[in-house]
Amino acid sequence: MTVSAHNIVKHFGAFTALDDVSLEAQPGEFLALLGPSGSGKTTLLRIMAGLEFPDSGSICFDGVDVSTRPTRERAVGFVFQHYALFRHMTVAENVGFGLTVKPRAERPDAAAIRTRVNELLSLVQLGHLGDRYPSQLSGGQRQRVALARALAVNPNILLLDEPFGALDAKVRKDLRRWLREVHQTMKLTSVFVTHDQEEALDLADRVVVMNHGVIEQVDTPDAVYNRPASAFVCDFLGNANKLDCTITGGAIEIGGHRIENTAPPAADGRGIAFIRPHEFDVAADGQPGVAVTLRRLTRTGPMAALDCQTSAGALIEVTTLEPPAGLLPGAALTLVPRRVRAYAA
Amino acid sequence: MTTVALPAATPRARRGLVERSIMPGFGLTMGFTVFYLSVIVLIPLSAVFITTAGMGFDGFVEVALSQRALYAYRLSFGAAAIAASINAVFGLVVAWVLVRYEFPGKRLVNALVDLPFALPTAVAGIALTALYAPNGWIGAWLAPHGIKVAFQPLGVVVALTFIGLPFVVRTVEPVLADLGPEVEEAAASLGAGRWQTFARVIWPAILPALATGFALAFARAVGEYGSVIFIAGNMPYKSEIAPLLIVMQLEQYNIPGATAIAATMLIASFVLLFAINLLQGWSRRRMAA
Amino acid sequence: MSRSTSTTEPGWMRWLLIALALGFLLLNLALPLAAVFFEAFRKGWDAYVAGIIEPDAIAAMKLTLLVAAIAVPVNIVFGISAAWAITKFEFRFKSLLITLIDLPFSVSPVVSGLVYVLVFGLQGWLGPWLREHDVQIIFAVPGIVLATMFVTFPFVARELIPLMQEQGREDEEAAISLGANGWQTFTRVTLPNIRWGLLYGVLLCNARAMGEFGAVSVVSGHIRGLTNTMPLHIEILYNEYNFVAAFAVATLLAGLALVTLALKTLLEWRYRDQLHVGGH
Repeated sequence: MTVSAHNIVKHFGAFTALDDVSLEAQPGEFLALLGPSGSGKTTLLRIMAGLEFPDSGSICFDGVDVSTRPTRERAVGFVFQHYALFRHMTVAENVGFGLTVKPRAERPDAAAIRTRVNELLSLVQLGHLGDRYPSQLSGGQRQRVALARALAVNPNILLLDEPFGALDAKVRKDLRRWLREVHQTMKLTSVFVTHDQEEALDLADRVVVMNHGVIEQVDTPDAVYNRPASAFVCDFLGNANKLDCTITGGAIEIGGHRIENTAPPAADGRGIAFIRPHEFDVAADGQPGVAVTLRRLTRTGPMAALDCQTSAGALIEVTTLEPPAGLLPGAALTLVPRRVRAYAA
Repeated sequence: MTTVALPAATPRARRGLVERSIMPGFGLTMGFTVFYLSVIVLIPLSAVFITTAGMGFDGFVEVALSQRALYAYRLSFGAAAIAASINAVFGLVVAWVLVRYEFPGKRLVNALVDLPFALPTAVAGIALTALYAPNGWIGAWLAPHGIKVAFQPLGVVVALTFIGLPFVVRTVEPVLADLGPEVEEAAASLGAGRWQTFARVIWPAILPALATGFALAFARAVGEYGSVIFIAGNMPYKSEIAPLLIVMQLEQYNIPGATAIAATMLIASFVLLFAINLLQGWSRRRMAA
Repeated sequence: MSRSTSTTEPGWMRWLLIALALGFLLLNLALPLAAVFFEAFRKGWDAYVAGIIEPDAIAAMKLTLLVAAIAVPVNIVFGISAAWAITKFEFRFKSLLITLIDLPFSVSPVVSGLVYVLVFGLQGWLGPWLREHDVQIIFAVPGIVLATMFVTFPFVARELIPLMQEQGREDEEAAISLGANGWQTFTRVTLPNIRWGLLYGVLLCNARAMGEFGAVSVVSGHIRGLTNTMPLHIEILYNEYNFVAAFAVATLLAGLALVTLALKTLLEWRYRDQLHVGGH
């Protein structure tokens, strides 16, 4: 099912949560809404689900406007950040809840509900835990129960709010892989919210980067990382050094060093150059490049991290596999950026 | 598919009193709440002020500020202040002991603290009278020393102390419990002695809660009736509390007189309520910091 | 100075404080409670039983139960309604509404009774109309019920409001997103979540409803066997110097208080995480 948002505007008091946001998720697509807290990503997700109402704009499912349709008639599966499992019900009762509240005419009989619940529990690999209560489960298990419960009502789309937010790093990684598999078998259009860039880049077909209630970029993980459309996206995704620069005729100048090929093209004037720590070549002093002084060198495994400072005082972090031999703090070095992204300041 | 939004179908948040929500039942629950609140509380309470307004200023002053009424206010507020002070001291000790120390029967003691909330005031009143009457367990012991409690203003203080204790304990307790050992250990590691730690670290932290507890106990005591009338002796100009004076006026079918005193008491209650709200705000800010 | 003396008191100080606290509680709370039972049994078991089974006493018990059976359920419905409206929605004047709900706690019980005399009494706003239609509210059971409703008004609401505020809306949103309607959401998700808190509020509400004296005293008219609740009956017996009977009836109310405290403590101990403790 295609899910689309059109010109969504939402205010909370004086705060603008969403400012004219439009977006479309293709059938079967796995879409990530990525951004810092307060960027409006959760609000957008809740508006898609019908849990929140936009001030203006509309939501369409397969081109049909569902804006006025209440949540319970939208057939969305929603997985809450803290799971919102009903703590007085067993795992099986939680998963079956959506089926037992259907109007009598549409409600499957008890045996059919049991079969469906068992099916879902084995899909989420919890077939043996149906009689437990949520409080007896681990975080990762609760999260899978929440997913099974959302899937039980055969939703048109699956919406997940920070699905791994409350889990520790190891569990998070395992569940991520598993969720990707579930998504592939179900072929459901899915949208999930995250503030974790690694999660978004790893899981999603396309990533929607949001900031201050607007969409900065919608693209594949590779594209948002390698061809960020704005300074914000570049800064938010991955680690980057930010350096003041001057842009003239497509070329940029950092600390007296001129670099010709920049992407994306930016207007002439003062700008900010983003260079990732691993996108420098470290050369001996005197070569063309940005002249710096080494402040500190640390080795973590195969990589070496160099903390450098320009004569203007700016700090630059560099990582490299092969630092020049015999480097000591205080040494003068030249950094040659291999790749620079510059944006107007 | 089209990408044009249809303004006609656009749901708009109501700019009125309530924000739009997917939760059901606002009209029903809010309607009943406001209706019931108005019928049971607001309209009857407004009757006091409307009836008082009908008396005219002079009529009001004549009753509400009569000599007998002034004595009654003085007793009600004075005894309430003394009782709340006693409770502030002992309530703090009780809260401290319940939070900090372990001793046999602690759970029982903890439950007993709430007795004044659960015991009907009339029962408390006759029990205290039996204890403090000249032939009672405590009264018989005090009488040889020339101390009379029952049927004296002192009896009013005893009754008001009984009903006020849990207000102080239950307000101070959570703040004291929240004040983890870390801050005290920090103070100790910085070289503070036990007394300095209490005076400079603990006391400032619990003071707002203690003041709130005092005010709650005081407010409750000012309006208290049931536990007081048995032990007070109820002599006009001496041991007659303000709520009793209202009842006296009513029994003489002097409804305007009763209403005028009631209006005075209500205004005092509202001032106290406002003060308590300020104190609670202070207490919350302290706890959040 | 050693570390231990800086983070706790010396032993003698600890025991002094415990002794002070227990001494005060004994004098102020335990002794009055003991006195109730002692006075009731002063003249033996038969005199005690006689005080309780006397017809006027029985009538007073029936009236007390009747009043509580009306006032408590109405206040439960109100408490749930108010808590639902306040915690599940955002609206203006919310904090004003919460303050108004607490109002009856800061009004003297005597004034709580007086207000109904002003509305429904003979000289009150509706007095002439009520007389014309031969309806009696003041000095009759309806007045007693109204005054009881007033004084017990905030108990359930003020227990549920902070509790439901803490629990948030996510569970209800989950139920609605799974297709539940409003009633299903309330009965199958909200009610199980708040059941212990609700019971806690009901306990306190009921104790006050059965024990209220001042407010009821003003509107009752003190007609023996007709408009006397148990606390009022105790007062009459006491004023007639029938102390044993007065204390005998008082033991029943003291028993109710003890049961209330026991259940309350049990709830706090067993379901601390599902309550909002701290209401008065």
